[in-house]
Amino acid sequence: MKYALQIAFKDLKYFFRSRIAIFAFLIMPIFMMLMTGYIFPKMQSGANVKVAVYSLDSGFRKMMENKKTENFIFVDSEEELKQFLLDEKADVAMVIPEGFLSAMLKKQEIKVRLIPSPSNPQMAMAAAQGITASIGGSIGNMNDKFTLEMENPGGGEFNYYSFMAPGIMAMVAIMSVVNGLAAAITTEKERGTLDGILTTPIPRYSIVLGKTLAQGIRGILQAIIILLIAVFLFGATVQGSILLALFVLVLGIMSFIGVGIIITAGAPDQETSQMILTTLMFPMMFLSGVFFPVNQMPSFMQSISKFFPLTYAAEALRKVMVLGGTFQNISGDVIILLIFSVITFSLAVPLFGKLTTT
Amino acid sequence: MSIIEVRELSKQFKEVLAVDNVTFDVKKGEIFGLLGPNGAGKSTTIRMLTTLSRPTSGTAIVADHDILKEPSKVREKIGLVSEKTILYDRLTAFENLMFFAELNGMDKKNAKKRCMELLEMVDMLKWKDTMVGKFSTGMRQRINVIRALLHDPKIIFLDEPTLGLDPQTTRTIRELIKQINEEGRTVILTTHIMTEADILSDRIAIIDHGKIVALDTPKGLKRMLKQSDDEILDIEIPNMTSNLVTELEAFDCVQKVLSRSSEEIRIIMNCDNPVAFITDFLSKHSLNIRAIKTVEPTLEDVFIKLTGHEMRDQAVKKARFARRMMHQ
Repeated sequence: MKYALQIAFKDLKYFFRSRIAIFAFLIMPIFMMLMTGYIFPKMQSGANVKVAVYSLDSGFRKMMENKKTENFIFVDSEEELKQFLLDEKADVAMVIPEGFLSAMLKKQEIKVRLIPSPSNPQMAMAAAQGITASIGGSIGNMNDKFTLEMENPGGGEFNYYSFMAPGIMAMVAIMSVVNGLAAAITTEKERGTLDGILTTPIPRYSIVLGKTLAQGIRGILQAIIILLIAVFLFGATVQGSILLALFVLVLGIMSFIGVGIIITAGAPDQETSQMILTTLMFPMMFLSGVFFPVNQMPSFMQSISKFFPLTYAAEALRKVMVLGGTFQNISGDVIILLIFSVITFSLAVPLFGKLTTT
Repeated sequence: MSIIEVRELSKQFKEVLAVDNVTFDVKKGEIFGLLGPNGAGKSTTIRMLTTLSRPTSGTAIVADHDILKEPSKVREKIGLVSEKTILYDRLTAFENLMFFAELNGMDKKNAKKRCMELLEMVDMLKWKDTMVGKFSTGMRQRINVIRALLHDPKIIFLDEPTLGLDPQTTRTIRELIKQINEEGRTVILTTHIMTEADILSDRIAIIDHGKIVALDTPKGLKRMLKQSDDEILDIEIPNMTSNLVTELEAFDCVQKVLSRSSEEIRIIMNCDNPVAFITDFLSKHSLNIRAIKTVEPTLEDVFIKLTGHEMRDQAVKKARFARRMMHQ
């Protein structure tokens, strides 16, 4: 026992001798508690949900349009409906079947299809109540004959996981790559093998690119594994092009890798670099809309989320995988990810040279 | 003809001046030893000359290229065997060598030929497809040394190449270093082992607290002691007293007294008739002499003479601390 205490004492002393380690040690819990405390949404109400409606029942459409219900936007086809979701003009889409009004009046049972937005499936559930209330208010009591059926945008039964899978994929790919990179650079630094590479006449940027390439390939392989598990084990679907999905993943990785390089080239050892990266990635995980929809967060949290490339990667990947979005639909996200990549890389390459020649 | 010209090179780490305004030349084809205790600034000097570290001030010309202005040109001409083994454990010996050969711009065919040649040279050909992680320290160091020779560099830097090796491997590596030198390569060697510097080097720079305190051939360095009429005696005294050292050092003609064990001292002095002097002194204090012998000066004695302290790491730390206090 005495020895155990001595070992523990040594370990703690060793740890607290590093200024960076202390910084990360203090910042991490504070950061994480703040993050997790603020990301959870305020109480939801269906009141200001934007619903795109494609009504096969023209009578219903006329009736609702006359009432000027602000949160209903009527469209003319299912394609347009999907487009509204892709362009984020609506939080949820709804398809009203033919003969809806008459069925309501005859008090017959009828189903209404509800398609959630990929970035915010929770909202659709909340919206369901709002919609019932809203329609109920317009045409009187419905005696519970009006049931809402949630479905996946690509058709089929609603599957919550297929909404989550793209975000998780993007997250795992980025995190594993950045962690791998940290290990790959700091281990070489600690072991001294980096000196061997640095004394060869190759340009510094090729070291950075080589490291990035290796980790990028690892990340893509891991992303494919995640995709396969999501599809075969949990029934997630890929509506859009798989190649486009992979492209987004690669771009997501590239957009964050520069940050990883800067941190690891500067960190004195592996433990410290790992700690700094965790401090950075943990909030990213929760703030990027992977688990909790960004637009439910308080507005300053939403602003912070804009600084994480994962937010855009997850968003774009969801559009492609859940809604079958095309390149046009995600071009905005792609541009932002490209900007992230270019900026972090153009900082990382010269910094890598500087930080490794102390 | 100088292949390395070091000019007023300094390196300041936060509060320590690791290399302090150092100037020296290395001649083409020689083995140049940098001798000094740990922390004296040897490795830092090597790191600057191999472009791994930027000098705070000053510069150096290595193989006709300035380390600051043309670092990649310098890198083409040098090979580095650093204190840490530059090999990947989970790659085989051959894979390791090929990796570094190709980074040095060799094409696959030439690289392969060169790797085989070098593996043959150190008698490691049959181990070429074994992962380096499975090698003994000695085998690993052999591969590590030939790794620095792949691109046929003009200059080889070896930073403590025999550190942590058993006596037999140490000898093999020393032989290898000589062989490398005989092939016409200039060798810059750092070590804290006096005998190693003595055996291998054509010229030695003794470095202490970041400064070069002497630079000469091993013989020349030792002659420095002899010429000054210093005599070195080892004396065995079975009933030695603890204050003997201080008492002896009080004499003007006694330069330095070291207790080598509880029964033996080494004394450096230039008194007239040194043996008579010491036997007189000891018999006056009724101390017995079991053995007394004059010692040919070693580099260690030179070091003590030049720096006033033994070549121990501890001494360096103390001194460094004192220097820091002075600066404040």
